[in-house]
Amino acid sequence: MSAPNQSEIVMDCSEFQQKLPELFEEHADLGKEEHLKHCENCAALVRDLEYIAQQAKLLLPIHEPSPAVWDTIQSTLQREQADTDGRDPSDTAPPAR
Amino acid sequence: MSSGTSAPKPARQHMRRNPPIAGEAEAIAKAQAGDGAAFETLYSLHKRRVYSLCLRMLGNVAEAEDLTQEAFLQLYRKIGTFRGDSAFSTWLHRLAVNVVLMHLRKKGLPQVSLEEALEPSQDDGPRKDIGARDLTLSGSIDRVTLERAVENLPPGYRLVFVLHDVEGYEHNEIAGMLDCSIGNSKSQLHKARMKLRDLLRTGERKEQPK
Repeated sequence: MSAPNQSEIVMDCSEFQQKLPELFEEHADLGKEEHLKHCENCAALVRDLEYIAQQAKLLLPIHEPSPAVWDTIQSTLQREQADTDGRDPSDTAPPAR
Repeated sequence: MSSGTSAPKPARQHMRRNPPIAGEAEAIAKAQAGDGAAFETLYSLHKRRVYSLCLRMLGNVAEAEDLTQEAFLQLYRKIGTFRGDSAFSTWLHRLAVNVVLMHLRKKGLPQVSLEEALEPSQDDGPRKDIGARDLTLSGSIDRVTLERAVENLPPGYRLVFVLHDVEGYEHNEIAGMLDCSIGNSKSQLHKARMKLRDLLRTGERKEQPK
């Protein structure tokens, strides 16, 4: 077992929190961070940030636009197509669904 | 089995964002050739994701629907340029993000410029709440509470948080979508989480009985 890195022991909250985004991105084992063993405040911060990232999955898309959105898209595209073809949009049959 | 090996690192817990969607490739090819039914298939496959992004960024159903509509109209006009260099959903998301950012800029919101949002602000330094041991989140955040807190994030933070933590995009993909560096995306995400923590703790304190 290797001795803790001296720089980790003396790392203060400011230094640790500067390093924190990179630790998260590396999926580092934060339980091994010396600073957290001695700093309850930063340990609480890490717990909270991990919890927030985990809970974010609760927000996966469940919303759905109303059917009117597709209707508008469809009619806009019909109109554009009719303009391109030089036809009267009211003459166009609805596109196949 | 040997027990001498170290335990494998836990896999990243994020769900896969871009699992293969049955029929998508075919629908893309047909839509590129002008097939309206195939385009509707693409709309059905991706409408929730695009709409949810718009809704989270705008917090308003009518505007979110308008922008969803605009994003898909742009998709129709530009789908011929999709070459498959990235996943279709990533490509479409980038298009939708641009529609949202353009809209927010037109509204003149000061936080809308991503470049501005990426500038470090005064509250981005290390937390100074040493000794505030009672301010840890209670561990009972529900969906509604979190949704409300996310709505209160500045748009730049909100966008990166939603793209990364909610939707599971990687920083290199987000950087591509937002035309920023990977480092900026990482930095924005961290600031977003920190800000969310503040918002959630403030909410918890307000709800505590006096």
